[in-house]
Amino acid sequence: MEIKELSYYINQAKIIKPENHQKKIRIAFVGSFSLNGFEETIQVQCNDEKINCITYNSPYNQFTQEILNENSNLYKFKPDIIFLLIDNRIILENSFYFSNINSENKNKKYVDKKINEIKNLIEVFTQKSQSKIIIANFVIPTYTPLGIYESKIEYGIKEIILDLNKKLKELSRNIDSCYVYDFNSFVTKFGEKNILDYKKMNYGDIKINFDIIPHLIYDFLGYVKPILGSNKKCLVLDLDNTLWGNIIGEDGIEGIKIGPYPEGRSFVEFQKVIKALSENGIILAINSKNNQKDAMKAINEHPHMILREKDFSCIKINWNDKISNMREIAKDLNIGLDSIVFFDDDPINRELLRMSIPEVNTIELPKDPSSYAQILRNLNDFNILKITKDDVQRKIMYAQEQNRQKLESSTENLNEYLKKLDIKIKIKLDNEFSISRISQLILKTNQFNLTTKRYQEEEIKEFVEDKTMIVGCSEVDDKFGENGITNVFIIKTKPNEWIIDTFLLSCRIMGRGIEEGIIGKILEIAKNKGIKKITATFIPTEKNKPAENFLKNYGFKKEKEHWVFLLKNEIKIPDYLEVELK
Amino acid sequence: MNEKKLFEIIARVFNIPVNEINYESNPENIENWDSFTGYVLLDEIETNFNVTFTMDELLEIKKIDDFKNILKKKGINFE
Repeated sequence: MEIKELSYYINQAKIIKPENHQKKIRIAFVGSFSLNGFEETIQVQCNDEKINCITYNSPYNQFTQEILNENSNLYKFKPDIIFLLIDNRIILENSFYFSNINSENKNKKYVDKKINEIKNLIEVFTQKSQSKIIIANFVIPTYTPLGIYESKIEYGIKEIILDLNKKLKELSRNIDSCYVYDFNSFVTKFGEKNILDYKKMNYGDIKINFDIIPHLIYDFLGYVKPILGSNKKCLVLDLDNTLWGNIIGEDGIEGIKIGPYPEGRSFVEFQKVIKALSENGIILAINSKNNQKDAMKAINEHPHMILREKDFSCIKINWNDKISNMREIAKDLNIGLDSIVFFDDDPINRELLRMSIPEVNTIELPKDPSSYAQILRNLNDFNILKITKDDVQRKIMYAQEQNRQKLESSTENLNEYLKKLDIKIKIKLDNEFSISRISQLILKTNQFNLTTKRYQEEEIKEFVEDKTMIVGCSEVDDKFGENGITNVFIIKTKPNEWIIDTFLLSCRIMGRGIEEGIIGKILEIAKNKGIKKITATFIPTEKNKPAENFLKNYGFKKEKEHWVFLLKNEIKIPDYLEVELK
Repeated sequence: MNEKKLFEIIARVFNIPVNEINYESNPENIENWDSFTGYVLLDEIETNFNVTFTMDELLEIKKIDDFKNILKKKGINFE
């Protein structure tokens, strides 16, 4: 969920119509300072999550009366959840400023007195209401009246607040329906000077800056979701450039990046956060286009992997499209698609998933993996109000029950999606400027590569100059941008026959029928030149399984060890591709 | 240009069309202008014009014209 500025929520709240949502919640805010803007923001954020939200804001700084008086509007409202925010200056009164005047003993007594007041409020509330109560803890001030001497004395202002927070937590541990919101951490995350603007405080008793309120509400939604069962149960992960850097099918187990060096650390950190989530009962699954054998070897044997096979309850590593895989994962695990969060570094895969299965929360990721861990930590989707034995057992259970029935691919969706991609393929022949990129692809590409012949740059230069040979490459663009040169082919020409020596596709653009567009265009060019037949070869390697059935599926016929296409036959180019020869 | 910018901020905060705004606009004739949205407006103007109002200036503001005069004092051109 993208978090917007406060004025957006204030305006949006006037026009949303959440009555249709099945999930309903009544939320009250009770505070010692101005909580304007909270209601509108949570209404809109709930609406985005398909939750019908009705709110109540207690009159300014009347939290004690509202809770103690059983005829108050708070109780008439019948909340499902209330958020209670009391700030330091109210709870500590003069002690906030003059903690240095009182003796240690007096300060301690004061803290006990205040905790008892809060305890009384919470107990009264839980007796009179079935609602959950979330109380914000207190913010450790950056200021102390004692300055640097604070560290030398017992029970200065910072320790007073620490003690209050500790006792508050103990209190909530004994009351089932009471939770402490760690507001102190929230303030640390965003910074005190960004949150508290003294002018606004003096002018309108506004103690949380406007642009911060939507972020606070996003955290609050983390309590609402599990109450309504809208929290997520399963984290589905891509592999290449998501769980590790680089591409296992291309770079091999030695070439993937994960470990104690700059480009490997992000992935270690990310995997540790995932591992911790799985300990809370969040189930993990893999949805990746790869050779299962290569990927499993990395998962099981790479020395720096944190997540291993046993951590995943469902593993889909294959060449099916990610949508079918995602549906299978939900089916295998017997969970709703709406309880899945999906991480994938590839914007095209994300777009595809969002379009086909909007119920899945597909997380937007930046190009740089450095912040993956923090993005996952900040999600409010995986909160739980209780950890049960079942939660911890769940992942084991799923792993046991896992069955790997094959489902037919849902190609209707895929074709529709491909049409919307606006894929444009520009083919260039014997272009000297592309030689270094061509050579790089020839030396590096393992997966979609018919013959896996490796040529050095000099050899390719000779081919380009050789009149009997054609060195071609294709640039592939789509609505998300330019992919650059991602295909290479080399053809040996004879008077009546062309022989495909090399044909490869970068793994970046696999799975979109691009190879069919390019081969189709090559066949057309040959036909126009009066050529009668095209001969190609597939040389199997450990890694080029993705290219295995390409020639056969296109319509080449097997003749001994070669594949042949007679140009009198119909030449097909997928209708969603725009292919041109430069 | 700055007039357009100012009016667009006001329109966005109060969720009204720009052509309903003039320098005489005030909490009496803009329905959505209450004490809280008034703060939001101040905040958005400060952020977007990169200025800071003093408390005295805040207390002077009764209508949009007052914003313009304070902004002018801070070197924002309204010609």
